[in-house]
Amino acid sequence: MPPSERFDHDVTTTCGYCGVGCRLEAHAVDGRVVSIAPALDGPANRGHTCLKGRFAHGFSRKRERLRTPLIRAADGDLRAASWDEAIALIARELSRIRDTSGPDAIAGLASSRATNEDCYVMQRLMRAAIGTHNIDNCSRVCHSPTSWALRQSFGLSGATGSFDDIEHADAAILIGANPTEGHPVAGARIKQATLRGLQLVTIDPRRIELSDYGVLHLSPRPGSNAAVMLGLAHVVARDGLVDHPFLDARTEGYDAVEDLLADYAPADVQRISGIPAGDLERAAHIYAEAENASLLWGLGVTEHKYGSEVVRLICNLALMCGKVGRPGSALLPLRGQNNVQGSSDMGALPDTFTGYQSVADEDVAQRFEARWGVSMKRERGLKIPEMFDAAVAGELKAMYIFGEDVAQTDPNTTHVVAALDALEFLVVQDIFCNETTRYADVVLPASSFLEKRGTFTNAERRIQLVEAAIEPPGEARTDFDILLAVSAALGHEMPFASPSDAMDEIAALTPDWAGVSHERVGRRGLQWPVAADGTDSPILYGSRFELPGGRARFAALPYKPPGSEADDEFPLVLVTGRRLEHYNAGTMTRRTGNLELLPSDWLELHPDDAARLWVSDGDLVSVRSAHGRIELPARVTERIEPGHVFTAFHFPEVRTNLLIGSSADVNTSCPEYKVVAVDVRPVAEQASRMPAIAAAP
Amino acid sequence: MSTPTATIRVEIDGVATEVAPGTTVLDAVRARGGEIATLCFDERQEPFGACRVCLIGVDGAPGPVAACTTPCRDGMKVDTRDPAALRVAAATVELVLSELPGPPAAHTELAIVARGFGLQHGALRWPGAQHEVEHDERHPYLTLHHELCISCGRCVRACDEVQGAFALTATGRGFEANIAAGLHQSFRESTCVSCGACADTCPTDAITEISLLAMVEPGER
Repeated sequence: MPPSERFDHDVTTTCGYCGVGCRLEAHAVDGRVVSIAPALDGPANRGHTCLKGRFAHGFSRKRERLRTPLIRAADGDLRAASWDEAIALIARELSRIRDTSGPDAIAGLASSRATNEDCYVMQRLMRAAIGTHNIDNCSRVCHSPTSWALRQSFGLSGATGSFDDIEHADAAILIGANPTEGHPVAGARIKQATLRGLQLVTIDPRRIELSDYGVLHLSPRPGSNAAVMLGLAHVVARDGLVDHPFLDARTEGYDAVEDLLADYAPADVQRISGIPAGDLERAAHIYAEAENASLLWGLGVTEHKYGSEVVRLICNLALMCGKVGRPGSALLPLRGQNNVQGSSDMGALPDTFTGYQSVADEDVAQRFEARWGVSMKRERGLKIPEMFDAAVAGELKAMYIFGEDVAQTDPNTTHVVAALDALEFLVVQDIFCNETTRYADVVLPASSFLEKRGTFTNAERRIQLVEAAIEPPGEARTDFDILLAVSAALGHEMPFASPSDAMDEIAALTPDWAGVSHERVGRRGLQWPVAADGTDSPILYGSRFELPGGRARFAALPYKPPGSEADDEFPLVLVTGRRLEHYNAGTMTRRTGNLELLPSDWLELHPDDAARLWVSDGDLVSVRSAHGRIELPARVTERIEPGHVFTAFHFPEVRTNLLIGSSADVNTSCPEYKVVAVDVRPVAEQASRMPAIAAAP
Repeated sequence: MSTPTATIRVEIDGVATEVAPGTTVLDAVRARGGEIATLCFDERQEPFGACRVCLIGVDGAPGPVAACTTPCRDGMKVDTRDPAALRVAAATVELVLSELPGPPAAHTELAIVARGFGLQHGALRWPGAQHEVEHDERHPYLTLHHELCISCGRCVRACDEVQGAFALTATGRGFEANIAAGLHQSFRESTCVSCGACADTCPTDAITEISLLAMVEPGER
């Protein structure tokens, strides 16, 4: 009996968890996924996957999956409703608000978990059916700084190479990322490469697992990344490691950088970052002297007040050493969600249509207007944090949130909840009730990645097919069908019979996607830009950068202190991140056996701090910032430096994001999740018999 | 590294063909659509040469050789249907089967290879000692059925060479050879990261997904 005879439906699809983009073989029996195996020919995963992609599929048939539309009844509870009723209500309310307050009183969020086609129709719905550019997606709160900075420095908004570059590199620097937990398959590839001789340098406030496999680990103070990158550049320049022929032929703006570097001698950087000067020098030499070396980074770079500037400084370093545009010399941002690259590529952004074409560009705007048969403004719409500000101010009256639990994952939860509360009308389209649906007037039951067709774009800019292994449960529908129905009810019919038709329109309107079609994507995927003849681009910038004159641009940006710093009241710095077993808000992984593997979260702190605070391993602690307070157990570990503490945000009961303020990246409004000054102290789990003496105010 | 340019000429079952230097006989045969049964081979791992099932005849060699670890050499003549090689390979599989307390599940690689050699668990020439049933089902997804382990080493190598968790260990010798998570711990107590690469590669379902256990119909067709 061949393997396929055990199952009644087999599809090859693309994982819906992180941005690595593993290709999977999903097997279903009687309408349930029973097993998922990695596809041997998956370009990013090459026959491997992790415990999320392989095992965490049971959520798809959990009893609490949303199966019918829900409408907020007069008594305040959500009640089941028909699709006709729910869509009619949405059309009526959004039309009323548009007519009385204008289209810009409405905003939408597309989902980085959904397909390219879903995101494309969502932004078309907001722009064409409603008439506003108030559309954004959750890359705002993760890699928008990367997207922005890569466009400024090199021209295109994506990795310059592929995961294959990890194996072609002689050295690599990994900055602010923990791939063996956040991107496990990429992490495994990096680890295997180190075992075969890759010289890996890790830069992270925590000693991550890959630090044990690297040749050098640097632990900077949270918020000092800019100084570290400038220090590396200083050493490269000082020690004669600059690739001058590359600089002269292919870049502009180095002179201003050279002047700036004088202030970032290793001793200066040691003062700012705490990294020993000798280690910084060694790291610079490892990178610059390697024949091919790559730079990889994650949210530890971007989720800062100056995250976008640090990405530009990372680009500077690659340019100084001429390490871009060839195998093994790549810049690889580790994108968080399965389609966070694609949701931005698809124009679910307030300032760009598909392929980062500006809404302010007259020719571009007219092309979209002609195709959609509408007229649009030339001014950008609101970014996510601006939407919440506008809602609290009473200017934004309605939101349509698709596949994002903002009340759990966005910073400054108190402010987000106030914004959701202030809205006149909120539509949430999701697969489960979550923290955000508490504030919804209509909840639409949608589909998971196992139940839909379309494409995701991974962290290598690779567009890959998604196939349905099972049907959406109950009356739930695919996001694509829901969005088309809502748009039609608002009076804007989209001419798509299937996601494949939507992709054809994307290709027609987007020069970088000109040759993309579902048929061409096939089993191997296509890395954009894709020419009209279907030729794709695994490596960017081999001969020219996508900027005027074909030259890359240096950025002369100094180090500036972070938005939040430890002080007497909040003496520790909290860094937030991820755990291997769970994914983001945990909506899916907490409903699988992964919860048995990791049932709760903890706060990591250094033994010195633990001793000073009278905290033992396992004790319940209170973590208080200027914005909120949470409680969770402590874990004492030497993987973190004294003065720093760490936790994740996967568990709604912990509500980590209550602690995060509104400080955000200066260019992209990406929140500063990675630096929060906090006060940690033990909490008695039961009231003590003797009244405690009050803590100092 | 320099890119190899020269090609190597070999003859497979009488058909001349050219391959790149470093190509193994197994790769060369499979690249041309041919089939050689294997048990310890997985394209994601370095060839191991342990199971002695992929045996072939090579002109001038003193006996059958393992296709997975034998590199093609210029002028080599390979016979994938060499009677001595097939006889030894079939006997090897027969001995492997004889240690199992029952026939392997029909969908497994071992069952497919056994069928290829016309072997049935119930009709073996050398019935001998069989492994005692010992199941570990303490993990939410992964289960370990020790009696089905044939010591091919694929799970250990998947854990080391694909994932890098180094959680699985080969234990014991001879009939006692088996595998263990960590130092005879459960998966969860070891350094296992639950990636499932071991279950994915296992040719006998000694490690498999708990969710699939209920779907397996034991026995042979």
